[in-house]
Amino acid sequence: MIKQILISDPTLRDGNHAVAHQLSAKQIAIYSTAAEKAGVPIVEVGHGNGLGASSMQVGLSLVDDVTMLETARRHLFKSKLGIHVIPGFATIKRDLMRALEIGVDVVRVASHCTEADITQRHLGFVREKGKEAYGVLMMSHMASGSVLVEEAQKMEHYGAEGIIIMDSAGAYLPSDVEEKITALVNGLKVPVGFHAHNNLGMAIANSITAIESGAKILDGTARGFGAGAGNAQLEVLIAVLERMGYITGIDLYKILDASDIAEKEVMPSIPVIKSESIISGLSGVFSGFAKHVTRISKEYDVDQRDVYQELGKRKVVGGQEDIIIEVVMDLVRNRK
Amino acid sequence: MITEAMVNLVFEDCRKSCTNIDIFSALQGQSILVTGGTGFMGKWIAEMISYINATRSYNIQLCLLGRDIQRFKDEVPHLAEKEFIALIEQDVRNIHDLPENINYIIHAAGSPDNREHASQPLRMIETFYKGTQAVLDASTRLSDLKNIVHISSHQVYGENDSQLLINEEYLGRLKSDSINHTYAEAKRITETLCSVYRSHFKLPIILMRPFAFIGPYQDLEKPWAINNFIRDGILGESIRILGNGQTTRSYLYASDMAFWILTALISGKTGESYNLGSKNSITLEDLANKVRSSLNNNIEIITKSSKSIYTNFTRLVPDTSKIVKAFNVDETHSLDDSIKRTIVWNQLNRSKF
Repeated sequence: MIKQILISDPTLRDGNHAVAHQLSAKQIAIYSTAAEKAGVPIVEVGHGNGLGASSMQVGLSLVDDVTMLETARRHLFKSKLGIHVIPGFATIKRDLMRALEIGVDVVRVASHCTEADITQRHLGFVREKGKEAYGVLMMSHMASGSVLVEEAQKMEHYGAEGIIIMDSAGAYLPSDVEEKITALVNGLKVPVGFHAHNNLGMAIANSITAIESGAKILDGTARGFGAGAGNAQLEVLIAVLERMGYITGIDLYKILDASDIAEKEVMPSIPVIKSESIISGLSGVFSGFAKHVTRISKEYDVDQRDVYQELGKRKVVGGQEDIIIEVVMDLVRNRK
Repeated sequence: MITEAMVNLVFEDCRKSCTNIDIFSALQGQSILVTGGTGFMGKWIAEMISYINATRSYNIQLCLLGRDIQRFKDEVPHLAEKEFIALIEQDVRNIHDLPENINYIIHAAGSPDNREHASQPLRMIETFYKGTQAVLDASTRLSDLKNIVHISSHQVYGENDSQLLINEEYLGRLKSDSINHTYAEAKRITETLCSVYRSHFKLPIILMRPFAFIGPYQDLEKPWAINNFIRDGILGESIRILGNGQTTRSYLYASDMAFWILTALISGKTGESYNLGSKNSITLEDLANKVRSSLNNNIEIITKSSKSIYTNFTRLVPDTSKIVKAFNVDETHSLDDSIKRTIVWNQLNRSKF
């Protein structure tokens, strides 16, 4: 039996979180070229929170969506150009239509793990245009396996050709991944995917557990470049998958080259698991909050770890970045 | 925007499917109400009546009830302007009184679109339950009512893991505590309502359980395999089989569907249930290949599935022997022909492609 795994590479999207959305057009061009050479099937590009998300609330990107997508499009030929879309940030008329006109091939429509209903129109629009549409359930550690199956089934009804669950907080252990992926594979018709974060050092192990449990799609980024402690490190993932006999279509040497290029040209520093990232993972807080938490905590001289713990208690999700300042102010008041 | 060529294609379809036009003399001067009258089924009923009235001077009157009449007028102006068609804009849940001259009712209100069921299950249940009760209540006050066809669904049979064709007595697996069976359970309660009104109020009601259809007026955006295969094929994109390619379905052409419903309306026996669909089964893999052949191109066919190996597959194909024997109806359009005509009709619709 052929063990084929579809790899999607969000280095130029999730990695944007790691640099406060400051990736330049030149960096996008350089990495797209390297990923294309390596045979990466899908290269995901954009603001960390996806299409249309550049804003004061979650961070302004250095270059606009159109420039990012047009730049990547010019350098991707066999590799498909993918985008991350959260309804609410991205509108169909203003953002999605334009993105498809630019030549986006793959659209991953994402929602919080219990709010799949909001993806219906966006998924429908993408399928109507004949493009590839996937559903993404973010912060999936916050829902049980059975709830994830029901939400994923909605996305399947809306036209999603695959469902990816995100460990947005890097909170999973392999046993969690096995339980949830198995439930999804049994409950869905379409392929299941997994997007890891590395807060607890489990990104590669969790990704492998996902495919051993039946997942067919994995996300990975060069050097793990992504929000918080980063993602599953793509070049490691490809090496491990090769060793295990899985086929990805990606050339190992060339993806090693691409990651070297990314380290030199794209990322100011390689993601590491910082102390606060460990607490963030244990607390189940969205990795995309890391930059905001660090900045605001420093400004008010509070311990980041306390902020993460409190955010975890409040079950804050992506898009609620404004709660961080509330939490910090509460900590300041309590200190007095 | 509908063109003359599209109208002509549909008219020819009706001519082919209407294998016995003389039976419709029973409807001469009669009035038929169709709830959900502006949808796929309603449009085809209107097309078939239009063909019959144009071919014979039966002057059958049609009253189409729907929630968005303006949309109907925009989509099918050639039907909306017919003198024998009256349009009523109303939510089926709010029906109180029906026009007094109604002799026949086809209750087809409620969307079979599973995207809506997933997003708005409570509204769907309410539409089926309250809508059906409202129609049946109003029917009890009609002085010259001759027959009601209640359009149910094949989903009332539950899941079918066997190789057998589904007959009207089949009982499959249904879980009332599963969100996935909401539509099926809602349809089942409408069938029970029909039984109560038939028993207590002596309403003449027959049940029809539709399976899958294909043809003009079926929105290619609907989330069903054949629609999506045809849409992606026309767009020149790869055809994607989602799930098990050995899943088996069957497809009745739309004009045959309309003829069978109208025949049942005249001749159906109160209290009986009839399957409405094609007996000719096909796997999704074979269907995708047929669509590609019909389009005469080399687009890719991709299977996307959560599982690598399947130990079983679903088969939703009706045993149609009861309806064929009862009404002497037959499938007049082969699947190849159905696919080709659907493609041609949609390609004529230049505003969409």
